[in-house]
Amino acid sequence: MKRVLIIDDASTIRLYKRCILEKHGYLVEEAVNGMEGLEKALESHFDLYIVDINMPKLDGYGFLQRIRAEDIDQPPAMMVSTESAAQDKEIAYQSGANLYLVKPAKPAELLTFVRLLMGDHHS
Amino acid sequence: MALLQKSGQPRPAPDDPTGRILDVEALERCLHDPSADIRRRAAADLASCQQATQWLLTQLQQETIPSVRQVIITSLTRINTTEAVQGLATCLRAEDARLRNDAIEAMKQMPDAMAPVIEELLQDQDPDIRIFAVNILESLCHEQVENWLLDVMDNDASINVVCAALDIIGEVGTEIALPVLERTARRFNDAYVGFACDLAIRRIADSRPAS
Repeated sequence: MKRVLIIDDASTIRLYKRCILEKHGYLVEEAVNGMEGLEKALESHFDLYIVDINMPKLDGYGFLQRIRAEDIDQPPAMMVSTESAAQDKEIAYQSGANLYLVKPAKPAELLTFVRLLMGDHHS
Repeated sequence: MALLQKSGQPRPAPDDPTGRILDVEALERCLHDPSADIRRRAAADLASCQQATQWLLTQLQQETIPSVRQVIITSLTRINTTEAVQGLATCLRAEDARLRNDAIEAMKQMPDAMAPVIEELLQDQDPDIRIFAVNILESLCHEQVENWLLDVMDNDASINVVCAALDIIGEVGTEIALPVLERTARRFNDAYVGFACDLAIRRIADSRPAS
């Protein structure tokens, strides 16, 4: 089973995404901020990161910049945020995001992009 | 080592071979010094000077070294005035996400000075600013927090602002939130809003004392 790491400081959002992804056969791990996300990403392999931008301790940009500098397998990363400004998207992609999804994302939309990023087109 | 004595008696800068005395104005000039270490120490020393609020805010907007920026923000939280909060609130409009995050974290630590400013931010025309204001409420120790959040859920037109408030109410909401949660679920025909409202209603119901 493919493993997804959800990094978000909002517990309801983590649970919501977990419910959607687990229902479709993905294994989900959670982290409450970028720093905890970094620790988990360095401890074990994930097939996808889903990362919020604004978080305490280490934000989403910081997480991506630091994980992309590590000598490990580099899974794709989806950055999810309410901020739709072009500047934020640019920083997200410069930081190492593969996709920038603007909230609110419908469950089907989230699932489509998760599958796309992991190459699960037929699941 | 501090460049300005807390007693208010200036003393020589420790690494200044001339033994020069640094007053508050000299500290303000040190805020623009090419050396990050001098800027950091000046910012720390200015924490005891309310008159330094604008200097610190100006430097915060242009400071590029994270550790110096952190000290500036710590000094502003120690100054802890409405002027400092209003200055930090302008950082919410910055394009630099880290500056915005730093400002949010600082304002969370200034509940009394924050109270008059938060209501303005919650009414801002820009939904992103209203989301930042809701994020500040998450950790703001103030008796009005739940009422401010419920007001957002009942009245804000932006689903993203309401979702931000809902995330917090889901964790800290009390029984007074129940009718608002039911209204919010009806007001927005959205999967996430319905999920979050149901979750919050169940959590509040479960936390009721058994009769």
